Amino acid sequence: MTSTEQQPFLSVRDLKVHFSTEDGVVKAVDGLSFDLAKGQTLGIVGESGSGKSVTNLTILGLHDRHRTAIDGEILLDGTDLLTSTERQLERLRGNKMAMIFQDALASLSPYHTVGTQISEVYRKHTGASKRESRTRAVEMLRRVGIPQPDIRVDDYPHQFSGGMRQRAMIAMALVCDPELLIADEPTTALDVTVQAQIMDLLKDLQQEFGTAIVFITHDLGVIADIADDVLVMYGGRCVERGTKQEVLRNPQHPYTLGLLSSMPSLEGSVDVPLNPIPGSPPSLLNPPSGCRFHPRCAFAEKVPGGLCSTERPALDVVDGRGSACHLPMDQREEFFADFAGSRHH
Amino acid sequence: MPRFLARRVLGALVILLIISAITFWLFYAIPRDPAMMSCGKNCTPENLAQIRRNLGIDEPITFQYWHWLVGVFAGRDYGGYGYCDAPCLGYSFANREPVFGTIMDRLPLTLSLAFGAAVVFLIAGIGAGMIAAVKQGKALDKIASSVSLLGSSLQIYFVGYIAMYFLVAKVGVLSQPSYTPITENPAAWFSGLLLPWLVLSIIFTANYTRMTRSQLVEQLSEDYVRTARAKGLSQWNVFFRFAWRGAMGPIVTVFGIDLGTLIGGAIITESVFSLQGIGRLALQSVDQSDLPMLLGVTLLSAGAIVFFNIAVDAVYALIDPRIRLA
Amino acid sequence: MSFSRRNFMIATGVVAASSTVLTACGGSGGGSSSGGDAPKVTGSKTMDIPVGTKADSTGPAPEVAGATKGGTIYSLEQFDMDHLDPAQIYVSTEGAITVPIMRGLTGYKIDEKGGVTLVGDAATDAGTSKDGGKTWSFTLKDGLKWEDGSAVTTDDVRHTFERLFASFITEGPRYVQQWLEGGEKYKGPYDGKSLSSVEVDGKTVTFRLNEPRGDFNYTLAMRGYALVPKKHDTKEKYDKRPFSCGPYKIASRSIGKSLTYTRNPHWDPKTDAIRNNYPDKYVFEFGFQPLAATDRYIADKGNDQYAVPIFNEVAAERIAQVLTNATLKKRVLTQVDTVTYYWPINTTRIKDVKVRQAINWAWPHQQLQTIRGGASTSEIATTILSPVTPGYEKFDLYGTTKKPGGDPAKAKALLKEAGKVGQKLVIAYQQSDNAVKQAVAIKNALEAAGFTVVNKQIDKSTFYTQIGKIDNGYDLFAAGWSPDWPNGYSVFYPCWSGENIGDGRSNYAQLDDTSVNKAINTAATITDSEKANKAWGAVDRQVMELAPVVPDYHSIRNWMYGSKVGNVVYDAGNTCVALCKVYVKK
Repeated sequence: MTSTEQQPFLSVRDLKVHFSTEDGVVKAVDGLSFDLAKGQTLGIVGESGSGKSVTNLTILGLHDRHRTAIDGEILLDGTDLLTSTERQLERLRGNKMAMIFQDALASLSPYHTVGTQISEVYRKHTGASKRESRTRAVEMLRRVGIPQPDIRVDDYPHQFSGGMRQRAMIAMALVCDPELLIADEPTTALDVTVQAQIMDLLKDLQQEFGTAIVFITHDLGVIADIADDVLVMYGGRCVERGTKQEVLRNPQHPYTLGLLSSMPSLEGSVDVPLNPIPGSPPSLLNPPSGCRFHPRCAFAEKVPGGLCSTERPALDVVDGRGSACHLPMDQREEFFADFAGSRHH
Repeated sequence: MPRFLARRVLGALVILLIISAITFWLFYAIPRDPAMMSCGKNCTPENLAQIRRNLGIDEPITFQYWHWLVGVFAGRDYGGYGYCDAPCLGYSFANREPVFGTIMDRLPLTLSLAFGAAVVFLIAGIGAGMIAAVKQGKALDKIASSVSLLGSSLQIYFVGYIAMYFLVAKVGVLSQPSYTPITENPAAWFSGLLLPWLVLSIIFTANYTRMTRSQLVEQLSEDYVRTARAKGLSQWNVFFRFAWRGAMGPIVTVFGIDLGTLIGGAIITESVFSLQGIGRLALQSVDQSDLPMLLGVTLLSAGAIVFFNIAVDAVYALIDPRIRLA
Repeated sequence: MSFSRRNFMIATGVVAASSTVLTACGGSGGGSSSGGDAPKVTGSKTMDIPVGTKADSTGPAPEVAGATKGGTIYSLEQFDMDHLDPAQIYVSTEGAITVPIMRGLTGYKIDEKGGVTLVGDAATDAGTSKDGGKTWSFTLKDGLKWEDGSAVTTDDVRHTFERLFASFITEGPRYVQQWLEGGEKYKGPYDGKSLSSVEVDGKTVTFRLNEPRGDFNYTLAMRGYALVPKKHDTKEKYDKRPFSCGPYKIASRSIGKSLTYTRNPHWDPKTDAIRNNYPDKYVFEFGFQPLAATDRYIADKGNDQYAVPIFNEVAAERIAQVLTNATLKKRVLTQVDTVTYYWPINTTRIKDVKVRQAINWAWPHQQLQTIRGGASTSEIATTILSPVTPGYEKFDLYGTTKKPGGDPAKAKALLKEAGKVGQKLVIAYQQSDNAVKQAVAIKNALEAAGFTVVNKQIDKSTFYTQIGKIDNGYDLFAAGWSPDWPNGYSVFYPCWSGENIGDGRSNYAQLDDTSVNKAINTAATITDSEKANKAWGAVDRQVMELAPVVPDYHSIRNWMYGSKVGNVVYDAGNTCVALCKVYVKK
């Protein structure tokens, strides 16, 4: 534990992930850095295509190696994952680092029982016997709250309900007590009650094992519930980061502000109209110049010299807090307040 | 499963019954007189009538069909030719051989040919398809795909004769195609059928390569395959236990259809390699207006297709637990 | 591609099976391989098959020079025999393949020079006739034995002919049944009744006929009249396993696949003037398409070196290759066939002789020959008799030799003379690629001569039923005929006598000319074969003058055989390869 205090458990440095496609090079992740300590939860927020999922697939090494060019550094507990061999990664996956996928129905194999899918991970990484690993699978299912786990362990995913499948998925991810858990929108497809149960479950598990969690979502409400730190991604870049309170209470980037405005506020009146961000997410094949958000940014004209469309704004991070915007810091509060005010009309 | 089988077998019998009836009526739908085939020069009306009586085709078609049907289930007395036990498919119009016996005599060859070729084209086709899928977009993929395309555009009666000329007659690396029962001499069985297997599988291999490749490519990009990798399973394990498992379904379906068709006889292959299988029998029965033989062969072909359909469904259920047989 | 023998028989133009009809399959079945540079067989020598003496009929058969005993002869045939009961045999392959195991009262003897004589086979000579041919007697040779060692008796001979009347016997020739006195009411021997017109006295059997039949002994040489043992007659089942009295017997049979003969130890060569017995064994294997068989003959490997053909000829695809290669050509037996393919003209519809003659003048013989595949597989016909049928006389009434492509001017002039310019002709032919091409050539040629032509394709399965009807609605149609025994009677009576008109009969032209009828009946009673042959040649010319038919072609058969087979010769009597004359080269 002590080592993690000097050196973060997971450290991503200037990660660039570029795919080559028939139409050209897609810059899915374009210079991303973040750290995560053990027992902490990092929420990554962004629209689809912002590069959040790609980042996490890259951490696990699940990207298509033939078509992807990667630059940067991903250190897990001091090991550079990007230079590890497939063999080394196989030993880490499902063991030290695990992932919960978004669509449990599609992500669980329809051809194998839930029990098999859980126990094979355990066997692979611990060398346990078939019987031991089955017992372990039952135990995991019980822990994630599957009723009659000793019976349901032989069911196939299609025999489970949506919530149970997601729980099974979590059980599968946690069966080897991973130190890093990446959860890619694990609750998106579920109804609110189940969502809440699963969030509680994750929190419990984290408390129990001290797992570091990367939680990917586009739902700021979920972030508010689970994350310690927040990282906002747009067009393959980090546009803002900080603690949950900092980012949600005091956004520093127009995109974060937009995201918050487009979300119904529990405190506000129901009559208040939502304010979705105009325009559509950028094409990563041919991304906008300068600040990638500038075509959709309500404040772009307020920056003199058209700087937003020509120059990439730097992300200066101080004590884990930072944002990438050309808008002068001192003007932001004023503009953002106006923006928030206009929202109330 | 037992209920499924019972229901499907019953359905299959009904289908075969309908097919036999249709074949019977279709046979007589065009003006045709099988007796003419046996009536020599200066065919007198009396002689023709006698032949019709001997063949049992002097009765109305409905009666003929009924007698045939009774024969299938209960056997039938053929006078001087003897009693034909159930399942009696009658006697050939052409050489008065029992149809059932003739089919049983030809079937081992056709089965050997079909299953042997199937082994070859499954191994070659699926193997090439797997390589192509793994090496997607690479040289090996392109080689496998073009070779299989080339193979599929060749014709058996072209490749067959060429192969025989070079491999058998000129170089002599393969033996003259022939059939020896496997029970008699497995080595001769194998060497005699090797060339027909290879040539027959050429036209199938391409299809399986293409199908395997596209199925695997699709499966390899499925979420559950990614999950399997995320769990740290080895690539080998992921490929065979997950992606291939998912890719198998459509391949099994097509394989069932192909095998069913092959049991009905590979007419061109049998002709080119001078093998006496069901295909030649079928062709001959059509040419000779040999209704009982034609019916027998038709039922065998239809039965094989229906059987493999049921088998495919059963296998499908084994592969994919989401499918429930009822 | 023709896969079926029966289908082929119909397709090429002769109803049911006669020997020669089977043969053109390889030759004309396939297509248009050019036979242009292949040698022609025109001017082949005419056959005369005289009746031999008692000495000719006495065994053993003349030795073949250089022949040695031993070895196995193989074959690569397309089809197994449907029938082996002699009474059910009409097809020539079935006839040819049974020569080594079956014997009739008479048979054809082939001498060292290829000449053929009708001799006594089981009988001591070729028979003696009384009453101008109404009574025929044959005496059995001594020492004839069945394969179980029991003697061949006159009872067996009588039984052989009585059983022809049984209801299950339907496929063989029916001449003798029609001619034997009392035959019309006889139902066969199986209910204990016998036929009084077959008399047995000691070793002699006498047949009483209801009409004079000068060539009755030729008729008896047909395989359909080979002997059947009374004791071993299994009726319907005899078809599957006949009993032998020849030099070989059936050792094993896998129906549809193979048939094996081994020596019959009870056969005495001294009783047989016809058969030699050089090979130890014959193994006939079935299921080989002509092309596959030809390729194996060309390759000449292993047992194929010992193979002889019965039905399979050189495939159309390979004929040019084989006939232009001197080494390969050495292993080919080329023979003009007894079949004549012709186009009968319906004389009830086209009554004017001049119109019928005009069709003959206009006929595009050469174009049709080219479409068939050239001169290596067919010879242009100008007569009804084939050059190899005894009685053949060469003549050419309609200028075919001079203008093989047709003479439209001459034809048009004749039409004008008859006042029938624009005469409509409905032509019927069987569906096939070649037939369509030929129909187009015929239409073009006839229209150039002033006819109006309507072509009608008919499905091959019903073709002969349709043109065999008296009231058929067609003017001209493709047909053909080969004689059942080698003389003019077996051509002219069935096809050109007015007595043989009727539904399903073979006088397709429905020619009923009093003088022709008379000439046929007169020639039929001539017992001297030389005189008879002259008479038949005259009948041919007489019919052709009335032009009720356009002779099209005689087919040429090219049989290829293995390099280790000796003395592959033609049996003109049975119109096939003489199986009992071949030997295995050492």
